[in-house]
Amino acid sequence: MDIHSTKKTLMEILDGSPAHKSSRYVELLITVVVLVNCSAVILDSVPEIHAQHKHFFHELEFWSVMFFTAEYILRVWSLGAKYAAGEGGAWKGRRQYMFSPFGLIDFFATMPHYLHIFFPTLDLRILRVLRLLRILKLSKYNTALQDLWHAVNSERRAFGSAAFLLLIATIVSASLMHFAEGHAQPEFFGSIPHSIYWSIVTITSGYGNVEPMTKAGEVIAILTGFLGVCMAAILTGIVASAFSNQMSRKKAAYQSQLRQVMADGVMSDAERESLRQLQVKYRLSDAQVQAAMDEAKSSKSN
Amino acid sequence: MNGLQLTPLQRLQRRTYEILDGAVADSKSKACEIFIAGLVVANVLVIILESVHELHVAYGVYFHYFDLFSVVVFSVEYVLRVWSCGIKYDPVPGSAWQGRREYIFSPYGLVDFFSTVPFYLQLLFPGADLRVLRMFRLLRIFKLSRYNSAMDDMFEAIRAEKDSFSSAFFLLFISCLLFSSLIYIIEGHDQPEVFPSIPAAMHWFMLTIVSGWGGVDPVSIPGTVLVVVTQILAIALAAILTGVVATAYTAQVQRRESLYEMEVREVLADGVVTEEEQLKLKSLQARYGITDEQVEAIAEQVRAEKGTAT
Repeated sequence: MDIHSTKKTLMEILDGSPAHKSSRYVELLITVVVLVNCSAVILDSVPEIHAQHKHFFHELEFWSVMFFTAEYILRVWSLGAKYAAGEGGAWKGRRQYMFSPFGLIDFFATMPHYLHIFFPTLDLRILRVLRLLRILKLSKYNTALQDLWHAVNSERRAFGSAAFLLLIATIVSASLMHFAEGHAQPEFFGSIPHSIYWSIVTITSGYGNVEPMTKAGEVIAILTGFLGVCMAAILTGIVASAFSNQMSRKKAAYQSQLRQVMADGVMSDAERESLRQLQVKYRLSDAQVQAAMDEAKSSKSN
Repeated sequence: MNGLQLTPLQRLQRRTYEILDGAVADSKSKACEIFIAGLVVANVLVIILESVHELHVAYGVYFHYFDLFSVVVFSVEYVLRVWSCGIKYDPVPGSAWQGRREYIFSPYGLVDFFSTVPFYLQLLFPGADLRVLRMFRLLRIFKLSRYNSAMDDMFEAIRAEKDSFSSAFFLLFISCLLFSSLIYIIEGHDQPEVFPSIPAAMHWFMLTIVSGWGGVDPVSIPGTVLVVVTQILAIALAAILTGVVATAYTAQVQRRESLYEMEVREVLADGVVTEEEQLKLKSLQARYGITDEQVEAIAEQVRAEKGTAT
């Protein structure tokens, strides 16, 4: 029983639950170790620095791998406490974590070192990139990033149609350019895939890496560049409306909760606390909450 | 203690405070505002012109006298502000320095101080680097932000949406690390002069993100794919930042309108609008930058609601 409660406490601390003060320190510690690690990987790639501080970087890597390994093992072990025996047992929570995006990141951020020990011939540079994956561990603590993802995800149809438009525009402009310039500059526009690269560069940056030589090519290049501006405008519009839709969704959810709380005319402490938690979760400012309350009050009095 | 019991000196202090603070809009404070703003603009123009070598040679003396004149004016302004801020919390005894401290350590107070004082430092230590001094003088342009709420509006909007901003920057940070190390691995062998290390690759990545074109043509097919993906990411990041800013400003306008509406409701609650209340609404409208049509619409709506309720 005692070991079970330890497991549960550890799970909550590692999960960042606000019930434990130490969970913030654990989060901070992991963040610092990840940042130090990533800076080390970046600096290590500069040949001069690598020559000078090779041993230091090696030691640092060893100890951070130990740290991340311990973290991973503790996470897997403690998540056994997530579900009681009747709900699927210890391994259900563990499996869930191990195959979640965060679990996979934790795994692949740690593994390369051991891989290197077993297969010393692997390309060092690939290991280095796998080590940089550790930066993704931080995204666990950035809930706003998940918000961003939800906002984008809810508008995925609009994004899909924008991507489709981009695809068509790229192919059309690339093939037109191939026909217009293929003879004049066969090294850049000799095939449609070659022209596709030029089209994407022109659409995204407005600056083509190759100057067209024919009159028709010039017209197509200008039209393609203009298309790039339109694409940027479309994408911006979609993202902006995704954000404001998300905000109004949150406000509506908060308001309906508020109305429920105010329906009986009294606001108990527990209700107040739950509203406050909802406000934190939805990241609403105090002024917004105040406005929602006033509105709820005035609609009630009418 | 009320206004009648002030000594002449205190009355002068209060009047100075009112004129400099500009809270009560009258012709004198308006004139003072225009004078200071005009002087600041002239100052900035002079600093820019002065950096042109030919002009400096030809008119250096006049520029110097002008700078002397402005420093005197700004010093007098600073001293008057510090002195008059003592009256801010007047009825509270011993509060003279509270108001002064508040002003001295406010962003405006610091700008006023640091845009003027280096001149005196130069008098004391003539060896100081002139370019540093010129930079401090350019700070004077921030004196204008006192008379324009655009800066405050922007900071307020950013603060309200700081989570979205930070997540956009986090995304930029992560993708910078991953993409630059990927391009370093893929193209580092073939183009060691462009991608000799990850920091060099990060430079390429940032160029691509801000301008859409990093100036390097990839040589391998995975490299080409990576460059294309980076360029699309550049558009996406720009779109996200624009979207966040647009949402922040819209939310700010909505917030202000609802605050204003609240105030209108409060004023109309007792059925009469006194002179004082009207003045309060007017100043609130000016502070929030709400147009007259919006005010009319809000008042109309509140009146209609009241009509149906009674």
